Amino acid sequence: MIDDSRAMRRIVGTILKDFGYDVREAGDGRQALDALEEGRAEGWVPDLCCIDWNMPVMDGLQFVFAVRANPGYRQVTLMMVTTESETGQIVKALAAGAHEYLIKPFTADALRDKLALLGLLPEEVTA
Amino acid sequence: MTLSAQAGTAQPITELLDAETVQSIADEVWPSLVGDGEAFVPVPVPPPADVVSAWVDILGPWTGSVVVTCAPATAEALTESVLMMRPPSTVDAEDVADALGELANVLGGNIKSVLPGESRLGLPQVGAAPPRGRLDDVRSLVGQWRGDFLTITVQGATGAQHAERIEEKPL
Repeated sequence: MIDDSRAMRRIVGTILKDFGYDVREAGDGRQALDALEEGRAEGWVPDLCCIDWNMPVMDGLQFVFAVRANPGYRQVTLMMVTTESETGQIVKALAAGAHEYLIKPFTADALRDKLALLGLLPEEVTA
Repeated sequence: MTLSAQAGTAQPITELLDAETVQSIADEVWPSLVGDGEAFVPVPVPPPADVVSAWVDILGPWTGSVVVTCAPATAEALTESVLMMRPPSTVDAEDVADALGELANVLGGNIKSVLPGESRLGLPQVGAAPPRGRLDDVRSLVGQWRGDFLTITVQGATGAQHAERIEEKPL
């Protein structure tokens, strides 16, 4: 969960943990890239990155470009979770390599639906 | 980020955004961010002596800020709700800045999306609200949350120019 807001990290993190995810957090794209590198050294690659757009240091779109430029992260699913809701922004993020787009504010059900769409909802949650 | 005057032809916010739209955005934001069953109620109550604000800047054809203002105690209660904190946990200034800032950010992002043209959203800031520009470039919703004073203000930047100001009169 990559967001400069701890509040949003906590909200999304809580929902994801309820779905059975092990959640790691980063406050900006740079921190997230560092966490990915550290994780890969441990043999850990996330299934999903939820990414805010507007963040200091490295924004969400830059992060998506950076991840997509690295073949080692090809299997990572990228979902923007952001207030940027104009069609042009959505197209830009999807063209950069994001798989899905969730606009803030959202409900736990909306996040669940997106995860189901991506095939990332654990069976015990879908049942 | 500090807003500077932009030469442009933007209309004042009162011509771009009505109170009903701001309220409908708040109606979506409160339950999802502040908590189930929570609402911003547009019924004014007397303002407190001391207030704190969080805001995000919008830069584009219309340039200004979306500002959330309330009493410090209300900001703390909002923070507890946003961060889903339960007593005896206590919020600190960083928590308040984060939660109130995210509230302004989500409100601001959604307000930006209904304004014409392409705009950019700044990062959330917290403190004393930025100065307002023209008197007619302000859309303010005065209301309450859990009975306490809270306002959502969409205000033009100081020095922002508007169409009627820069249009030359025909000879």
